[in-house]
This record gives sequence, C-alpha cells and structure tokens, in this order.
Amino acid sequence: MNGSRLKQILSSGKFAVTAECGPPRGANTEVVRKKASFLKDCADAVNVTDNQTAIVRMSSLAACAHLMQMGIEPVLQMVTRDRNRIALQSDIMGAYSLGIRNILCLTGDHQTFGSQPDALNVFDIDSMNLLHAVRTMREVGTDMSGYKLDVAPRMFIGAAANPFADPFEYRVIRLAKKIAAGAEFIQTQCIYDMKRFKEWIKMAREQGLTEKVHILAGVTPLKSAGMAKYMAAKVPGMIVPEFLIKRMEGVPKEKAAEEGMKICLETIQEVRQIPEIHGVHIMAIEWEEKVQEIVKAAGLFPRPQPV
Amino acid sequence: MIVGEQKPLAEIKNIVAPYSKILILGCGTCVKTCFAGGEDEVATLASALRLSMKKDGREIKIDELTVERQCEDEFLRQAASNISGSEAVLSLACGAGVQMVADRFKKTPALPGVNTTFIGILEKQGLFTEKCLGCGDCVLDRFAGICPVTCCSKKLLNGPCGGSQNGKCEVNSDIECAWQNIIDRYKALGQMDRLTAYYPARDWRNSSAGGLRKLVREDHVI
Amino acid sequence: MSIPEQIKFKPKITVFHCFNAFSDPSLVSNGNFEVKSVKMACSSLTREVFLLRAFESGADAVVVLVCPVGQCDYLQGNIRAARRVARMKKLVDEIGIDGKRLNIYNVTRGDKSAVAEIIQKTVSDLAVLGPNPAA
Repeated sequence: MNGSRLKQILSSGKFAVTAECGPPRGANTEVVRKKASFLKDCADAVNVTDNQTAIVRMSSLAACAHLMQMGIEPVLQMVTRDRNRIALQSDIMGAYSLGIRNILCLTGDHQTFGSQPDALNVFDIDSMNLLHAVRTMREVGTDMSGYKLDVAPRMFIGAAANPFADPFEYRVIRLAKKIAAGAEFIQTQCIYDMKRFKEWIKMAREQGLTEKVHILAGVTPLKSAGMAKYMAAKVPGMIVPEFLIKRMEGVPKEKAAEEGMKICLETIQEVRQIPEIHGVHIMAIEWEEKVQEIVKAAGLFPRPQPV
Repeated sequence: MIVGEQKPLAEIKNIVAPYSKILILGCGTCVKTCFAGGEDEVATLASALRLSMKKDGREIKIDELTVERQCEDEFLRQAASNISGSEAVLSLACGAGVQMVADRFKKTPALPGVNTTFIGILEKQGLFTEKCLGCGDCVLDRFAGICPVTCCSKKLLNGPCGGSQNGKCEVNSDIECAWQNIIDRYKALGQMDRLTAYYPARDWRNSSAGGLRKLVREDHVI
Repeated sequence: MSIPEQIKFKPKITVFHCFNAFSDPSLVSNGNFEVKSVKMACSSLTREVFLLRAFESGADAVVVLVCPVGQCDYLQGNIRAARRVARMKKLVDEIGIDGKRLNIYNVTRGDKSAVAEIIQKTVSDLAVLGPNPAA
C-alpha cells in the first residue's frame, strides 16, 4: 500500500466516489477551500485539474496541498502540454514529498482552446510515456534516465479514457496500452451516450482489460439545455445524444437543473449495475456544492472511513 | 519544399522605410513554387512598393533580381553587383536564404520579405500542406507513412487523443486527425498490430531541441 | 457619351482584353477620357505585375475584359484571371490607391455596347475616386 485511500477503497472492492475541483484563476486560497469543503465528506478523493481546457489557473500541485491541509485526499492531474519531462518528473517528486499519493496522467487539451492560445506547447512526452515514467519510479525506483532515486515516488496511477472519441474501435486498444503502461485506475469522459459506453465496456471485458484496472465512470450534471447543446457541439470528443438535449429542452428553464440532476442520478444507477465499473467520478463543473446532494441521492453516502 | 508566404505590404513598407535604394532579391526554387518569392512576385512587389511610396510622396529606387537559389553561394554570388549598388536587400527567400545573404554580404542589411512557414507539399493547385518538422529522426516506417510528430497537433506517438471526432482534430475541424489517417492506412496495409505497440518517450536531440544542427559530409569537404 | 460634370481631370483607363474577343476598345475613347487597349492572346495571361505597372504608367483605372464563363478558348483562363484580379484588388487597397480602380468583367466577344457601358461606368466611378494618387 502506498497510503492512498482511493487505492484502498478500490482494492477492497468497494464502490468509489471521486469528484473534481478546478483551481481558481488567481491565487485565492479561499476559493479552493470553499470548493473543497463541498466535496470533503462525499468523495474518497478529489481530482485537482491541471490548467484544464488550457486556461491558466493556480497550479494543481499547490491546490492539492491546500486540499491535504483540509484532510482531503487529492488526485494530482498532470498534463504533458505545458511541461517537459524534466519539469514533470520534478513535480511528481515534489508532490510525493508533500504526501500526494494519486496521480492522473493526461496529455491535455490543446492550448488553442485556452486563455492564452499564443503560448508555445511542449508535448515532449505523451500521457502514455508519463504513465510509464510514474510506474518506473515506483517499480524500479528510477527516473526516466535510469538514475536511481533517493526515495522514489510511489504513486497510485490513473489515466483517462474517452469511449466517445473516434475511431471507436481504437478506444479499447488505447485503454489496453494505458494499462500496459502503468494505469491502475481509469476515469472516463462524462457519459451521456450510455449505449456507446456499454459497448466500450463490453469490448474491454472481452479483452480481459476490466480485470486489470479499476474503471470509474465519469458523470457531469447538466445545468441547462444550453449546456447540453454546447457540450454536444463544442467540446471535442463528447457525445450528448439528441434525446437528452430534447429532454432538457422539454422542461421549463427553472426546472432544467433539477432535470440535469435526475439524468445524472439515472446514469449513476445504470453504471452501478455494470460489475466492471468500480466507481463514479463526478465532475460538477463550477457546481461543486451539488456533489453532496448527488452522492446522497445516489445512496453512496456516507463514504467509508479511512482505515 | 519549403513553403513561405509574402509578408503584408504594410509590414514590408515598415521594414524598408529607412532606405531609398533597395534590391528585391527573389529565389527561384521553393518560394517560387509557392508564389512567395520568384520572379513574378519580385516584380509585383517592386511595383506595389513603388506605387505605395509614390502615393505617400516618397520615392524609392528598386532593383529586381531573382537567383536560382539564395541558399547556395554558387547562385547567390550572381547578385553581388546588384547588392553592392543597393542600400539594403529585401530577400524573398526563406529564412535560410535571408541569412545566407546577410552572411555573404556583410556590409549590406538583409531584410526578410517572406514569412517562412513550413516544409510541405503542393496538395493541389493553390493548396500547400505541412508534412515535415525536420525532427532529425524519421519514424514514418512505423506510422504508415504519416508523420504523427508533424501532423498530430500534440505530436502523439501512442495513438489519437480524446479529442479526435469524425476524423477531425480537436484544434480545428479543417485539420484531419493524423491518427485517424494512420489507423485507416494501417488497415489498408494490414498493419493493425502496430497500433498496440508502445512507443517510448522520444529522443529529441536530433531535432532543433539539441541546438544548432550541422551536417558534415566528409567526402565532399576539401 | 456624356461625361459627369464633376470630373475635373481627363481619366486614363487601361483595358486588358483578348485580341480575339474585341476589336479596339479605344474606339470608344473621346476627348474627355483616354482608353488604352492592351491586347492579350488571352486575358488570363495578364500577369499581376502588368496591372500594377498600368497604374505606375498613369492609369486612373484598370479594366480586364474576359469572356463569359464557359466561353474561354483556354478553358479556365477567364476564371483564373478573375481569381487573380480579386487578389490584386486587395493589394491595390493595401497600396492605398483604392482597389475599386481595378475591375474585371465578363463580356461576350464583339459586344461593343457592353464594352462602351463598362467604360462609361468606369468613367463615372472615377468621378468619385478621383485621379490615381500614385500616378
């Protein structure tokens, strides 16, 4: 055991709940604390995003440290867009020294989406290489050059999977590659197209992948019909089926958020019926205060206490 | 070929503003093919500059010359007398040509008239597409002849990111997803097994990351 | 042909056209304006620099006459010419002498009255545009 509560919960066969916290655009610690306070008792671990959608924010590492001070277990998200292998490895060592035990290895959204599209990107390595590097640190105790580290980080390693991106048949191959490179848990892109999600899980099961990794199903409650349409049209690699957009449009505006919550809960109930799904990852974007309500309504509260 | 695009006239006017007698020096190889700096572009730019300056009440003397290749001394030296008769040279070559001019004719300022954009192909008449980054370690054998380092917006060697949809890149729907193309071509070539291979972190030393690159061919050096 | 009163200069118009499409458009010239005709084997051979040099030589407006689409002896010569003239109009704007001074028209071969109309329109346009400021 590396001291990760998330790992402990998943290894013991319990259904895990993770949530997401996006750091503020600035150095305001109070924003982090406030967001995190909504998530404290209802999630086993909280992902802290790394300049998500390429918008410059407080660093994931610093925000993770704030969460730890509040007694919340963080998942450090790390993208390869902004830092080369030197900086990435250095931050992993720093994170581990601060007590961070979970990492989610990502490539990251392209900077042209973000607040500073004029920036130079890095992409020295990709998420697959990062997974490999973090595992090597833990299993072999060396950095990417093969240098033996004095106290090597021993992270619980996660990766993302997007069953809704193309080409579809490749998505399971990519999952297999991520597992082979070191991923022990997977958090998926938010699920609205349940049919496609189940098809992906079926393919993963047939290839024996679901036995090798803990898959946490991603959910995001919709706030409005506009949000549903935006996600369908503008967010790369996202599928929001037409019938869900219609359903959101079919209720009065003031009831839309409630309907979005219902859809989210239905999704959670449905994924809990899939034995290969070991948890949910709730990404309530700028709506962290709703997470507790979701977890309670889904019957996933209270969370197991750390041993 | 090296693809470039002529700078906007206003920018060129600013660049040549301090001079009243210049040479516009074209290059008859790559930039000619992409309509940025061959004889025709030299003539058009010279005429446009003269008109624009005259409209502003200024006069500029412009000499025009195009050599076969500005990046080779054998051709560039043909410009020697034109250059010595000018206060500055506005080179319509790629960045390599401009620097060759600067290095070869140290007393005359060499100015760029073209933005060098990429190494690419003529995809069809009037359409040029980037194909190579000059990374110094070609991997095209492993990727079905499609370069992920150049054609994937994230330089991914291990398959498409989560932003690939309907064959398009997340950056811009005008860009094809390089990995969709690689996978389609793997299928056509019966090489789908390559998809499962793990590609380790690249050694970038042969790329521009390793500092200025030189190629020495001992058999040609005397 | 009537000349708008406000014209205080004698406009010079350079016309590029296919030699097999028209006789000499300068035939429609009169004492109040001057038309210079440049005969090309096909108007598509009108290089960009020719258009600018016409302005350098003092033209207040430049007109390119091409055959209607589908009637070019060289298949797409007229279409290509239209694309190039569109690009050059932008450059003439950038030069600062107004892209409206440069135009391209499709005219059926031998249609003298159409040519006369085009020249008349150009003369009227020049009444607003004034003389070429870089002439």
